[in-house]
Amino acid sequence: MSSLVISGDTSGAITLAAPAVSGTNTATLPAATGTVMVSGNMPAFSAYGSTVQTISTASYTKIILNNIEFDTSSAFDYTTNYRFNPKVAGYYQINGSVWWNTASGTTYCETILYKNGSIYKFSPGYITPNGYGGAGVSSVVYFNGSTDYVELYTIQSSGSSQTTSPNLYGVFMNGSLIRGA
Amino acid sequence: MTLYDKIKSIYPSLEDKDFINVITLQNDSDGKGDYIAKWEHPTLARPTTEQLA
Repeated sequence: MSSLVISGDTSGAITLAAPAVSGTNTATLPAATGTVMVSGNMPAFSAYGSTVQTISTASYTKIILNNIEFDTSSAFDYTTNYRFNPKVAGYYQINGSVWWNTASGTTYCETILYKNGSIYKFSPGYITPNGYGGAGVSSVVYFNGSTDYVELYTIQSSGSSQTTSPNLYGVFMNGSLIRGA
Repeated sequence: MTLYDKIKSIYPSLEDKDFINVITLQNDSDGKGDYIAKWEHPTLARPTTEQLA
């Protein structure tokens, strides 16, 4: 038997197929209940910004991530809300970075993951007068697969407005499912 | 003048730490600009729309 086809109760079918190569391999299903994760249902995305944003001092500001490097499940809104809203429940590794233009003085800043409109995790950093600066944030985030979403925010406390330095390498958010619900 | 500047002009006694601990200004990059997302200052009242105009 090279493959096993299991038909659905009403429609559809799933096929378990053996590779067409010599040798014997064993795939053992775990003693647990849940949805088997394969590449087709494990969302991954990478979005980045290309719009220079002027950020007021002491104001939590959403980063405009208006470009997509990849988005395997079309779960990232890069035109309106700049948020990741996956439709597969589970635990995702989410990373974000904000890169700034030079400030007139060393300035505290934060890069923040907002989940469902509230601060979830942040990481501190500094903008410097001698060059660029910024901060990166990374966290595992649970998504319910329907309404949960995450956005990237930043804040700085220079006392005046500062500008971001957006590009593919410095202003981004990306992530991937690492464990099903 | 930014929202931060307006609030500071109304309440000069406010310190930067207040904008972390008890006051949250936010901008959702939706074209509507900065707004007060949280005001939990124990003694100073939230500025009115007229004061911030």
